[in-house]
Formats: sequence, C-alpha cells, structure tokens
Amino acid sequence: MAGIMTTRPFMNKRGFLVTALGMGLILANPVAIAGDDIGPLATLKVNKARAELGKRLFFDKRLSGDAAISCGTCHKPEYGFANPDALSEGYPGNKHFRNAPSVINAAHKTVWMHDGRIGTNLNDVTRGMITESYIMNMDMRIMQERLKQDSLYVKMFKDAGLGEPSNGGARKAIPEYLKTLNSEGAPFDDGQMSASAKHGLELFKGKAGCIACHNGPMFTDGQPYNTGVKENFDVFLDPARHQAFIGYADFMGIVNYMNLKRDPGAHIQKHKADGSDIGKFITPSLRELKYTAPYMHNGMIKTLPEVVAFYNRGGDNDRNKDIRMKPLDLSKQEQKDLVAFLLALSGKPLTSSRHVWTEAYPKEYEVIANWLDVPN
Amino acid sequence: MSSLKKTSILIMATTVAAALSVSVAAAMGDKPSASASGMSQVGPTPAMAGTFAKAPEAAIPPLAPLGEPPIPPDNPMSKAKIELGKLLFFDPRLGGDASVSCATCHDPEQGWSWAEDISRGYPGTVHWRSNQSIINTAYYSKLFWAGSVPSLEAQAPSAAKGGVAGNGENDLMEARLRLIPEYVKRFNEAFGEPWPTINNAWKALAAFERTLVQRDTPLDKYLLGDSSALTEQQVSGKALFEGKARCILCHNGALATNENYYNIGVPRAGRWLEDGLAQITFRFEYYAKGATEELYRTVKDDVGLYFRNKNKWDKGKFRVPSLRYIGYTEPYMRQGQFYTLEEVIDFYDRGGFDEEGNTTSYPKTKTPLITKLNLSDEEKEDLLAFLEAFTGEKIMMAKPRLPGYKPLFTLAELEAAQAAK
Repeated sequence: MAGIMTTRPFMNKRGFLVTALGMGLILANPVAIAGDDIGPLATLKVNKARAELGKRLFFDKRLSGDAAISCGTCHKPEYGFANPDALSEGYPGNKHFRNAPSVINAAHKTVWMHDGRIGTNLNDVTRGMITESYIMNMDMRIMQERLKQDSLYVKMFKDAGLGEPSNGGARKAIPEYLKTLNSEGAPFDDGQMSASAKHGLELFKGKAGCIACHNGPMFTDGQPYNTGVKENFDVFLDPARHQAFIGYADFMGIVNYMNLKRDPGAHIQKHKADGSDIGKFITPSLRELKYTAPYMHNGMIKTLPEVVAFYNRGGDNDRNKDIRMKPLDLSKQEQKDLVAFLLALSGKPLTSSRHVWTEAYPKEYEVIANWLDVPN
Repeated sequence: MSSLKKTSILIMATTVAAALSVSVAAAMGDKPSASASGMSQVGPTPAMAGTFAKAPEAAIPPLAPLGEPPIPPDNPMSKAKIELGKLLFFDPRLGGDASVSCATCHDPEQGWSWAEDISRGYPGTVHWRSNQSIINTAYYSKLFWAGSVPSLEAQAPSAAKGGVAGNGENDLMEARLRLIPEYVKRFNEAFGEPWPTINNAWKALAAFERTLVQRDTPLDKYLLGDSSALTEQQVSGKALFEGKARCILCHNGALATNENYYNIGVPRAGRWLEDGLAQITFRFEYYAKGATEELYRTVKDDVGLYFRNKNKWDKGKFRVPSLRYIGYTEPYMRQGQFYTLEEVIDFYDRGGFDEEGNTTSYPKTKTPLITKLNLSDEEKEDLLAFLEAFTGEKIMMAKPRLPGYKPLFTLAELEAAQAAK
C-alpha cells in the first residue's frame, strides 16, 4: 500500500525545496511561490520484445477469469486508453464505481489509482487489475497455464528473455508495453501551441492556479486533494456498481462501509479519524484529455469547458475541500484559452498496430499432442 | 419380517467371515505399513491378519438402511435456513461473474451432478474431476474426491471460490447478498444478524443440502424388512456384492462407503490427451495445490490423496464414493472414466483394468483388495440389478424464483448526503 506523500519534501526543477510548510505558503499565494516544472516527458528505454509481448497480453481476453474482457476492454485505445463511460464497465456480473483513467504515460507516474492505493510500480498495478474480483477476477495461476497453452506466447516469452510463460513474466511484459504508450506530437511538447493556448498556459501558471497541483511533465504532483467533485449517484443506485464499491470499501477497512454514501477516495490510505481525508483523489495527469472525456474520478464532468467552469466557480461543496479551491473570476475568453492549452497537451491517437495488438487471438486452446511425452 | 432380517444378518456374517483376511485393510483404508515396509502388494500381510485378530471391532459393517443425516451442533436446521439455502443453491450471484450457481454444475436434471466425464467449469475453464452428486452428501465425513474438506459448510466455499468452479470472491459475493432485500430479510430470520454474511451463506447451503437425502430406495425398504422390494435377481446380486464380487469390502455401511482411500486401478483420463482446456486445468491444479516443481513438471495423472499428505504410498488413492443414487449420476469414477455401470462391473471383474487393459498410473499403490473376480455374465447381470437397488425415485426440484437486487439508498437520501458533504 502506498502512503500518501503529503509531507515528503521534493525538489522542483529550480531546486526549490517544497515541503508541507511550503505547501502552506502556496495556499496563501500559489502564483508567487509555485515554480513550474512542466515540459516534455522523459524518453523511456524500452525492451521491444517484451513490449510486443505486453501488447498482445494487454488486449487478450484470456487474462480475465471468464475470458470475457481484456485490459483493453476498459482502457480503449480510441479513447486515449481510457473509457467514454463515466464509470468503468468492470468485470461481468458487476460494474465498476470509478472512471477508467488513461494508461497513456502511466509509466511516468509514481502513484496509481484515483485513491493512490498503489505507489510502487506498474508490475503491482498489473497484478492488481488482473486479480481484483470486480475488475478482471483472474486467478493468475490459471492465467499462467492459459499462456503456456498458446504456442505464440511460448515463443514470445522466450524471445523476450522471460523463459516460459509465467505470471511474473506477464507482469514484466505489460508494464514494458505501457512504456510505449507515451504522448506523441502534443503541440505543447513540440512548441506548436496556438496563441490562445499560449495565453492559456500563462493563466494555467498564473491566475487560474492550476500549476499548484498540476505540475511536472505529467501535469500532476501525484498528491491527493479534495476539489469538491459531486458524487456520481450511479455508484449507489446501480446495485451492480454498489456491490463492487461495498466489496472494495470492506476490503479497504472502511468502518461502516454499508452506510457510505460517498466515495472515500484516498481516505483508504490513512483512515484519518477526523475524516478530513475523505473525498481526496490523486491529481490526475492532464495529458491526452482530448480523448479521455468524461473527467474526474467518477466521470461527473463531461467536457473540458465544464471542467474549467467547475474550477472557475471554486469547485462544488465539500467540507473537506482544499482551501485553494476558490472562484477564479476567469473571463469567457480566458476559460476558452485555458481549454485551448489543455487540448495542446494531447498528442496523436495511439491507435495503430504500433500500439494496439490487431492480430486475432486463437478461438480455442491448442492441444499439446504429445502431452504424455513432454514436461508440463 | 424379522426372519428376513435374520437372513440378512446371517448373510452378512458369512460374508464377513469370507472376507476376513482382507477386512482390516478394508476397514482401515490402505495404510502405509505394507508399502512402507516394502512388503508384497499382492495380498494381505500376516501383520494385517494379526492386527485383525486383536481388533475384531474392525469388522466390516453391513449394508444398512440410511438413517437421519447427522446435523452439526454449530449449524442446527431450521425451516428459514433451509429455504434460504435452497435459493442460494440456485443463485448464480454466488460466483464470480454471476453466471454459474451451485445448481449449474450440480444440476437436478443430471442427478444433481454433471453428466460429462469431467465437470463443466467456470466460464472459460473446464474442471478436472467428475462432478459428484449432492444427494446424500449430508452423510459424508469428508467431501471431494480426495476427501479434502470435513463438512458441507467447508465444501461450499471451496466450490464457490475455486478458479475452475465458481471463481467468486467473499467480499463481492457478500456485498451482492446485502443488496437483495429478500436475502437481508431471510438471513436475518435464519441467523438473527443484521446483514447477510458469506459464512452464513455456506451454513444455509449446507442446511439445504442436508435435506437432499434419499432413504427409501429398494435397498432401504428391503433392509427394513420388505422382502418384495428386491427381485430375486437383485437378491442374488446382493450376495455377490457381499461375497464373490468383494464390493462390500469398501462399499459398506448405510452409505455404502467406508470413506477410506484406495487406488483401485482406474486409468488416466483420456481427456487430458486431447483437450487443450483440460490440459490447462490439469497444470493449474498442480500449481494451485502446491506441488513441487518436479511433480508439476512430470505428473501426468491425478495423484489424489497424495495432494493432501505428500505420502508417496498415497498416490492415486481416492475416497470411496457412496453407491447411493448412482442410477442418475453417470459417468463414474474420479474423471468419469466409465459411462455405464456395466463398464464399471467389467473393470472390477478384470481386477482394475479397463477393456483396453489400462490401469492406474501408480501400480505400486494399487490396493490388494482389487483382484480378478471371474464373474460369469449372469453374475454380472445380477450384480448390476442389485446396484440399481441403491437408487430410488429421481429427486427433482424446479429452479426457484430468485429475489432481485434493489438499491440500498434512495435518490433523496443520496441528495441529502451530497448536500451535507
């Protein structure tokens, strides 16, 4: 379990030591204090054979318990590897209670999941998503044996230097594939922003104060905040979603989980007795927003202009709302410019065979014909 | 009536005497002593006979009418619990993707079991053993083919959660039950607790299963004194069962099983040679059950009891199943190796070999109780006729109407909570 690193000091690119105390100063005057650390993402070194294997695994439905869904079922390439539904599909028999985030640039993150419950690496994220009962509900021991029954996997694992197909190997290959999903050709990265977007960037760093949290090449500080997003009532009104939510809250050790009428968010990490961490969610990246509507952890905001309008009014009501969430008094044009800037953080679609496994998967498992004569 | 009973007892006594030399091994199961000491596997050892002389209580219990099922003190029966258990038995929401219930594989139409060699599995999988009937499971002291659980309460979660069976997860299944108002009410009535819990679901299922018993077979009626309940041929078959055919050595008592473990020579399932999905599950079982690397790599058959105790002399041994209700539970043996009782009788008659001469993958552990029987065709027919006496009317049950989900909160309640945030 990842701890939230609210008190962990970190250096921004100007070597400015920002601490919890520093954050307090930011609250008073975000524009003056926050140094920006935004820019293009670092290039990642990728093992091609492993990434190719990971690509095949990512879109393979045999990685879920009943072989009905793959990672790509919810993380759809044509929607920026996110999902057009406010709340994700989840495993058959139930539905999910949060919005599926984009996995583009996921390799650049240091904390994953809207509640920040994984702060280690994508290997753990991969395992978590595949095995979680309301997500892919896969007993990975069965998964391993399915992979071993597919001769192309046998070859691909070997070529990737991972030996015979195994759970450990799959958990190395999928993160390697995710390293190939990076923003490509975003106007911001390429220095191709429109005048409106450039103005939007100034607002982003200045008057609108976005940079206070959306900082760094990923446009996120990886910290949890409460911005006062309204609950998505479908989580509770649809028993298929509510059952997954209850199972999650129960497993996470939330007291009185049957009576919860709101998403606790990052509260699951520290369980603060005063409840002041309820409703905090990890700052999301702002890259690839062009494809990943709707927005927020629960998909409650449909469009970017509405997101900007939400911040412009200082968010919606919540007793735990971050005190920096104040009305911004942005003009219509300023809001448009801000949206233009946000869109400039999106690259080209990653929908070709370079990023998507497009070959068919076998409809049946091959028989190992000389089964008696070969080792299992 | 009483004279008939006496006759029956007399037959038993004769049979026991005839089977004397092997009865201890039968009553105790094949314990390691003979194998471990490297003694001959072909017959009972002097040591065994000696043990018998000192322990006459190990005599073979006769076939007997089936009594009331035992009820565990920590899960008493109640009408509310049984009716709840029935609903849960048919409810696919007690599983991973809410598509398979207990009754999906333990189908009343198919003898409360599954009529293929190997049971169907969770969607996307196949099981690796034959599915056993629910009928009369109330009487077993251990369940599953290798006897790995001691009670119905422990069997239910294994089946509902196993990756190639129900593939359900406790927290999610429990959450589902809590969003079904009819279940909230019924669990409360049955257990007196505010919310359904998954452990109480297993208890309710077990209570329901304890009602699925059959105590009025022709054999029960006969043993209770109705001489007309068995035909002459069946009576002849009974004598063979208790004598020449040696069935009684293991299939004894009211349940027609001593619940001990034996390797009787059943050959490897052919399915593993020709079905990729079955090959996947085969390896998974060894992986999941904690086999050593060497065993996982080399094994090509079901090691049975060995999974549980890792004693090499227990490879290929399985718990003796009851013979009750077998008229509806074909195919037979741990991977459904035989589709008819005729094949089963021929298998025993040959001393544990199928018609192609195949036998166990673990000949060293094969029980000496299994020997060539030299039954005539007529004797085989008589035996078959008697085996039919273990089965009564088909127990059928219509699938109950299942209660639906309902949102736990109203929109107004959610809006009020939103406003108070």
